Amino acid sequence: MTSTPLDFGNPVELDRLRQEFRAWLAEHPLPERQSDEPLPVFLHRWHRLLHSGGWVGLDVPERYGGRGLTALHQVAISDELGACRAPGVPRIGYLAHALLEFGSEEQRLRFLPRMLAGDEVWCQGFSEPGAGSDLAGMSTFAERHDGHYTVRGQKLWTSYAQYSGLCLLLARTDRSAPAHKSISAFVLPLDRPGVTVRPLRAANGDDEFCELFLDDVRVEESERIGVEGVGWALAMTTVSYERNALDTGHISKYGLLVERLRRFAAEQRAGLPDGLLSRIGRCVVDYEVLVAHARRRTAERLAGQVAGPESSVDKLLMTRTEQRLYDTALEVFPAELAGEGGELFGDYLYSRAASVYGGTSQIQRNIIAKRILHLPSNG
Amino acid sequence: MDREEFVLVRDMVRSLATRHGVTSADEVKPSTRAAAQQALDELDLAELRRTSPPAATAQECALLAEEHGRRPLTTSLLGTVLLAPELLRLLGASTSPAIPTIAFTRELRFPGRTPTDLVAWDSEGADSALCVTTDGTVSRVELGPSAPSTDLVRTVRAVPSDAPVEVVGQLAADDQLRWQAYALVVVTAELVGAAGSFVEQAVQYARDRRQYGQAIGSFQAVQHLLADATVLVEACTSVTRYAAWCLDNEPPERALAAARVAKAEVNSSALEAVYAGMQVFGGIAQTWEHIAHLYLRKVRLGSTLLATTAELLPALAVPEVTR
Repeated sequence: MTSTPLDFGNPVELDRLRQEFRAWLAEHPLPERQSDEPLPVFLHRWHRLLHSGGWVGLDVPERYGGRGLTALHQVAISDELGACRAPGVPRIGYLAHALLEFGSEEQRLRFLPRMLAGDEVWCQGFSEPGAGSDLAGMSTFAERHDGHYTVRGQKLWTSYAQYSGLCLLLARTDRSAPAHKSISAFVLPLDRPGVTVRPLRAANGDDEFCELFLDDVRVEESERIGVEGVGWALAMTTVSYERNALDTGHISKYGLLVERLRRFAAEQRAGLPDGLLSRIGRCVVDYEVLVAHARRRTAERLAGQVAGPESSVDKLLMTRTEQRLYDTALEVFPAELAGEGGELFGDYLYSRAASVYGGTSQIQRNIIAKRILHLPSNG
Repeated sequence: MDREEFVLVRDMVRSLATRHGVTSADEVKPSTRAAAQQALDELDLAELRRTSPPAATAQECALLAEEHGRRPLTTSLLGTVLLAPELLRLLGASTSPAIPTIAFTRELRFPGRTPTDLVAWDSEGADSALCVTTDGTVSRVELGPSAPSTDLVRTVRAVPSDAPVEVVGQLAADDQLRWQAYALVVVTAELVGAAGSFVEQAVQYARDRRQYGQAIGSFQAVQHLLADATVLVEACTSVTRYAAWCLDNEPPERALAAARVAKAEVNSSALEAVYAGMQVFGGIAQTWEHIAHLYLRKVRLGSTLLATTAELLPALAVPEVTR
């Protein structure tokens, strides 16, 4: 696949889409974040505004509320958002893919349009206190009854659960089968009796991450996604998209900061030490490499390649980009470190999580070694 | 080219590499160089980028350069097949029996205002060299004696300072950007091929080589080293492929920006990937007879070829047209 030419899309069409987006942006000024407005609330406003212009879910089929275009179009707009210094795209691409690939037609029609519109906010209930990178070790159990399940267990790192209405939940439905065959996926409304959401304060002071306590929560059979046991495959698909900077909206997020650094470099050029200018240049290169990489992955998928373990490569590249970028940004804007630290300092702290969430960098290297390079196991 | 046609051409280069790729520095001799070059000449690929519109896209040319880089080859695929014909094509020059390669400065950069201080780069089988000065003037220069190169498989010849310089034509401003972008992409792609292939060889070695009673590839420290090298090669591949596609599809200033980004990434990442591969090979990779130093030489010198990281990063820090 990599030794024959790839098609990165129709440049004229992509350019037209960018122009169309710029024109829309010119008529729809960026919303201002209120001083007391929590970030997810602000981003949700932005999400709805973007959706009103048709800029959410570009690569989702039209019958599910998207634009029916390709992920190459989504890359172009994600890159454009950063260039226009706009907030990033909503972080829903990977959840949408999970529903697209594993949901029933009824579930796709019911959930996807509302997810894209921001009418329903979703979170992801995968990790547990005893199952992080080793996701197969989860112990939350969904006991089957006639037509429904009773779920008991605890989830952790459930981002923005306190602002969410629905949770894509993984739970075991078989205690005896091997882990990879015994996990099922559900759509859990978070207002169900027995659900407790407790925000967990992160190192940067934000309460993005949450704990989710599930005490005999009733979930209907119709809320199960796919058949029993499909949860592991769904999780692997989801994390493979989650490890891709495009589907998590990271491209637009990094692009915004890279643009800020470049503008600063242009203004200060003579006043910046050479080393710092080079570090900004390195961030520009990292970012452009990441965008080119997302384009290549998309082009490969459009050419028929199925998403697989190469997403671990994507995740490590994304981590490299993010951690070098925020570290450099603090060097460039030292005032962010003053006092209790500015917003960028908070983002910097958050960037340290990049090598942990979605499977640590060490786990990604293990996956590459075993599943891409086919290196032997120990012993 | 259509896909089948391209695969055919790529496989011809691949089998040339299998037959004529050197496996040790001592195999690099004038006779083996001549035989390999003759085999390349027989493939008759110089027309790929010589006609207008070109038969091969820039992306296809980059892929051929990548293929050529995968084994230590003494052949001048880059200079005489991919680069010089592109210059003649951009000039609309009439065909001639001459086989030029490309002249760079002694430091292996694009020449400055005048065609002085030059070497004929990748000159195996070439009878002259083309030089592009900053004003876009393309001149043909004569070749002098062989010059040493740290990249042992690359033939380089001196360009006598008193030799006559024949002006061949003048590149339009846009074409000069295209030329620079194309040259950057082609040399970068060869480095990507070299690093990618060397890492694959190190992976195979890690599967075979046993210590402490087991394959060294089963040790997590070795696995992570190779996984990181793989990520670097993937990054190099993505950015170079995209830059090549830009040449075929985007305005020249965007293509040049993408090519410079690719060169900046590959300069450091391809080299780091080769270091990781050498570490896996261990002691054997430190010997003259082992293939490792041939890759290291190519990639180390390649990281200074046409544009160094030190030049590129500060320039890329300030906004320019990339979108």
